[in-house]
Amino acid sequence: MAPAVLSLVVLGGYPLVFIALAAFTESSLGRPFQEFVGAATFESVLADGDATASLLRGVVYALLVAVVSVALGVATAVALWRSVRAGAVVRTLLLLPMITPPVVVGVLWKLVFTPSGGLVDTVLGAVIPGGATFSVLSHPVFAFLGVALADVWEWTPLIVLLVFAALIGQDAAITEAASLDGAHGFRLFRSITLPAIAGTVAAAFLIRLVLAFKVFDLVYVMTSGGPGQATTLPAYVIWQAALQQFDVGRAAAVTLLLAVVVTLVTLPVVAVTRRLHND
Amino acid sequence: MTDAFSRHLAATPPNTAFERTSGSTTVPPRSKAGSGGRGRGGRSVAAEVWVVLSLLAALVPLGYLVSVSLMSQGQISAGSLVPLPPDWGNWSAALTETGLPRAVLNSIVAALGGALLTLAFALPAAWAMARHRTGGRSLAGLVLSPWLLPPIVAIVPLFSLLRVLGLNNTLVGLTLVYALTNTAVAIWLLEGFVRRLPVEVDEAAQLDGAGEWRVLVSVVTPLLTPALIAVGVIVAVLNYNEFLFATFLTQGPDAQTVPVILSLMLGERVQDFGTIAAASLVGVVPVYAAAVFLQHRLVGGLTAGSLT
Repeated sequence: MAPAVLSLVVLGGYPLVFIALAAFTESSLGRPFQEFVGAATFESVLADGDATASLLRGVVYALLVAVVSVALGVATAVALWRSVRAGAVVRTLLLLPMITPPVVVGVLWKLVFTPSGGLVDTVLGAVIPGGATFSVLSHPVFAFLGVALADVWEWTPLIVLLVFAALIGQDAAITEAASLDGAHGFRLFRSITLPAIAGTVAAAFLIRLVLAFKVFDLVYVMTSGGPGQATTLPAYVIWQAALQQFDVGRAAAVTLLLAVVVTLVTLPVVAVTRRLHND
Repeated sequence: MTDAFSRHLAATPPNTAFERTSGSTTVPPRSKAGSGGRGRGGRSVAAEVWVVLSLLAALVPLGYLVSVSLMSQGQISAGSLVPLPPDWGNWSAALTETGLPRAVLNSIVAALGGALLTLAFALPAAWAMARHRTGGRSLAGLVLSPWLLPPIVAIVPLFSLLRVLGLNNTLVGLTLVYALTNTAVAIWLLEGFVRRLPVEVDEAAQLDGAGEWRVLVSVVTPLLTPALIAVGVIVAVLNYNEFLFATFLTQGPDAQTVPVILSLMLGERVQDFGTIAAASLVGVVPVYAAAVFLQHRLVGGLTAGSLT
């Protein structure tokens, strides 16, 4: 069985080794590893502000999207758990955004945000008659929030699913004992239910952060990184470097820098998750 | 860090909650606490309201997509929300003028073929890791670590690999790439299922003289069929929805998948939103159908496996 595992490590490790080698060499799309350049690629990436700005933008984006998704996801999971009427059909419908292809999610929200005749524009026009057309995706801040909204819409169902599973999986005996001891309602929820699902919520937050750091399809379809660079998130910068400018060395360097940033942002979350688990 | 994922998800007990049809009687803790008085009634109403709101949030955008797909260009720019009368022209255009049916077929072939190969790669590895502690806990984390990064740069070595094999710009090549890229996720999901399988089963088979591979093929695989289907469905959906590799590795209609065709339609100089909406909906049908028919297994794989 060891050969199966070994071949797998080789297959999984190969792209990582490739990225590491490409980042320290002069590498184009057609001809990787032309010449060893040491840290020169990193220096030029860090010197031009665009890449670092996108990394910072990526951190803000990932934290925003993860916090909102987890808050909405936990609320929805708890509501589903408490609801008497919500059955399998409701749960399946709530999961649909998660399995919709990201390109379709992008198309969908692009249509919603279209300036003439889009859902947002039409509704705003009905509320404020005679107002000018409103183009969400051509305003820097609103475009950023628009992509974030599409992302939240797409992946909140995953949080709902994970947290709902944890809620159902609680030890019924403990809840029962607590309610016999007089704990009810919010107090029961805060002292018994919340601690029981805290580990899952933290893990879900971690997964959500990583998914938000990797977002590419939504940016590609909805805004192409614009207006200006308002929605140029890290994965889009890497794509531009590798497949538009054919500079694989630069793309690899940004990928490694993103790896560092993701690690720094997630370390505290991992620490919290570990502690919740050990309790 | 991935190690933390697995360990924390491991904290959650197994369950098949989503598989149950729910009703007031199936959730004992709540009905037990139901004697708490009128305060509970109020909260339950709040829960129902929140469920309705989240349903609206999930479905209104999809409903708007359906609505746009039934509107003529004039109706869209006039800002109507309900297509009256419905214009089916977009649907016939999407089905006849865009190469969409072929793309749906390509997507399904790549998704299912990739999923089957992924399972074939992942099951022996997951079994070895769960049973023989190959690589210890850290290997599971190491295997998953590429998942943490955007896969864009990995395109380059994969592309070279396909060129060496003479499979670039073919559906077979794309299928192979999908098989490789999702193996880590599949191992991660399968490992939990394997660990829950009693070791005695393997041991009994080994006492009867079965070798390691024999145990895996004739004993473990049949027992894990539900888990394999669950993980297979998840991986197939991931494959079906994948865009970046597909757009880079396929150039012609023989290999292009649904997301690629949609992105090409978006890239045209005059964007025909009605047809794009109709094409999106056609492309979504196979995943939604899979979700409805296989909901139990899909959800079981996401929760039970990785979470045990």
